[in-house]
Amino acid sequence: MNQTKAESWLYFIIGLACFLIPGSVAVFIVYDQGVSFAPVFMFAGIVIWFGLFWLFPFIEKKVRKGQKKVSFDERDQLIHKKSVMAGYVVLWLYFVAVCVVAWCTVGPRGSISVNVMPLTLLGGLVIFTTVNGLASVIQYGRESKGEKS
Amino acid sequence: MGSDRLSNNLRRLRFENGQMTQQQLADKVGVTRQTIIAIEAGKYAPSLPLAFRIAQTFGVPIEQVFQYDEQES
Repeated sequence: MNQTKAESWLYFIIGLACFLIPGSVAVFIVYDQGVSFAPVFMFAGIVIWFGLFWLFPFIEKKVRKGQKKVSFDERDQLIHKKSVMAGYVVLWLYFVAVCVVAWCTVGPRGSISVNVMPLTLLGGLVIFTTVNGLASVIQYGRESKGEKS
Repeated sequence: MGSDRLSNNLRRLRFENGQMTQQQLADKVGVTRQTIIAIEAGKYAPSLPLAFRIAQTFGVPIEQVFQYDEQES
């Protein structure tokens, strides 16, 4: 398996876990304790998200600087670019869907809690993470068919 | 990412050059082995600089490595 492909799987699985596990805990705390945990959870989510997508590859690149073997080339770059684009398209559709659902649920004169906003943003990050990882995995999977040495 | 019109002689050239492996070629041109596999299978059309590097590795003109079929629709 290509190293970058393995990383895509890692991002897809860990990315989901990073948000779903603390997400479940947060929902449990909110319902059980009655505290507004959303802003804290959102902050933690954003920190994890940035760590996962920006800091980790940066550190990895620094660590591997001395190594000669190529692990990321123009094809990986193209796949990454397409995956990010897919992630942004789905993210945009998600925000549109959230707005439409909110409008349909509470009506034009209704109101919603401010806690919905950070949770919606966090939901967007989860969706972006998942779609980005999934799109990479699909592209690598499709490209890898019929690999021969 | 690939091109139906682009064909290549990568496999033949590798074997004509001392049975070079995909990994050896990948190391020489600075890409991953998976990219060489994708190019050979016609699933990925390489960039011009990469195509030139591959041709230079085999010591042949670029048109001997890659062919563009104009007839195909």
